[in-house]
Amino acid sequence: MSEFLSMGGYGKYLWPSFVLGIGIVALNFWMALGSLSKAKQEARRRLEMQS
Amino acid sequence: MRTGSLGVAQLVIARDLRLAFRKPSQLLQPLMFFMIVATLFPLTLTPEMSRLRDAAPGVLWIGALLSSLLALESLFREDAQDGTLEQFALSGQSLTWMLFAKTCTHWLLTGLPLALSTPIVAVPLGVPTEALWSVVASVALGSFALSLIGAISAGLTLGARRGGVLLSLLTLPLAVPILVFGADATHQAIIGGAIGPPLRMLGAIAVLGVTLAPLAAAAAVRIGLE
Amino acid sequence: MSWAWFHRFASPPWVYGFATRWTPWFGGAALLVMLWALYGGLILAPPDYQQKDAFRIVYIHAPSATLSMAVYATMALAAAVGLIWRMKVAHAVAAACAPIGAWFTVATLGTGMLWGKPMWGAYWVWDPRLTSELVLLFLYFGYMGLRAGIEDPQKADKASAMLAIVGVVNLPIIHYSVTWWNSLHQKPTRLLGEADMVWAMVWPLLLMFLAFFLFFAAVVLIRLRAELLRRERSASWIREVLK
Repeated sequence: MSEFLSMGGYGKYLWPSFVLGIGIVALNFWMALGSLSKAKQEARRRLEMQS
Repeated sequence: MRTGSLGVAQLVIARDLRLAFRKPSQLLQPLMFFMIVATLFPLTLTPEMSRLRDAAPGVLWIGALLSSLLALESLFREDAQDGTLEQFALSGQSLTWMLFAKTCTHWLLTGLPLALSTPIVAVPLGVPTEALWSVVASVALGSFALSLIGAISAGLTLGARRGGVLLSLLTLPLAVPILVFGADATHQAIIGGAIGPPLRMLGAIAVLGVTLAPLAAAAAVRIGLE
Repeated sequence: MSWAWFHRFASPPWVYGFATRWTPWFGGAALLVMLWALYGGLILAPPDYQQKDAFRIVYIHAPSATLSMAVYATMALAAAVGLIWRMKVAHAVAAACAPIGAWFTVATLGTGMLWGKPMWGAYWVWDPRLTSELVLLFLYFGYMGLRAGIEDPQKADKASAMLAIVGVVNLPIIHYSVTWWNSLHQKPTRLLGEADMVWAMVWPLLLMFLAFFLFFAAVVLIRLRAELLRRERSASWIREVLK
């Protein structure tokens, strides 16, 4: 297991790279969903003000 | 009476020159800015001549770029505000051609004087006298290409808030090739190497700019005028 | 040939429904493919002869780089479609692409730096490929800045569309920079046919490309929905959709 983590000594470059990459993937999902729910809220408010 | 294309260009150029020379102090501002910026580098980096000579291409080109960006603001802004640009668009003449004429005049008033003043800045930076003409030529060519590309971003930012900062932000990525080859040409001139290849690339970029940039600028201006 | 499908893509409510239906599929597929690819790349693939285990950074770096350019191309294409055919939906797609593409560019630059340090000894070099990728990031920022800076939504659409199209010239520069100039960055690696890498290393990479594309599809559809809701203001179809 520790061999896996050290990755032949390159672990300190490899793992941050993967964290960065996967982190950006997750962050994009999260931010997109946040933007969508905000847009839905605003749309609901607009419709309420109309009726 | 139908004015031919050359006649239209002459009218546009003559008008811009007349307006510019009503406020000659405004013509000097970009030049002053260039000299001040170029002076800041030796003050902040090092007064050591050999190191300055190495840094000279960068200093010259960044100074030229920054003062060109400042000058670009005046390319379309006043004419957009007082409705002249709209008249151009509605006139039935080619807006592309008129904007090209405007851009050329703008370069004659800002880029060319800048290029001609580079020796004043280059010599204190350690650039050898033999290299000065090449430096002037490369900055002249590069600033012409820059004016063309800047016309596009000037057109795009006509309707934007804080257009000045945005104009610089938009022009910089597109200006990178000009910077790279221009600085290389200046560097080659200083060390006495081959300035042909980078100057040819600059020329190619300028030619590309001449053919495409006025079209894009005209389209951008039309969007902004709607 | 029926152009009906093309017309459907011009209709905001139809596109919204399409996006809602397909997002879970793209997202789920992206997750599964990525897990499978990571298993293959991190555990199954043997270490590289020269780079040892450091080569595994390619599994994040290469797909991010490809996507950073592919997303820009999509953005420019959507912008062009929006300009030529005056399709609101196309402009919305372009707007939705921009933040995603910017993040991919950040991922490319970041993983590139983490790979460059052990391989070249430096986090950054001013070589053509890295510099033009950085310029791509600036182009994304410029695009988003221009959109934000123009009040009128239609003018913002058109002006930013023009910027996106003009900036396309950067893409071939990034891609071919390693062959045109003497670059420190690695030349393109052949993956199929007469491959430069063994198959055990290649298949996880191909899967990661697929996973990143699926992920892009899922996220862009989510952002597209948000764009459409914001743009359509109080159109009647929104009432239906929000129930």
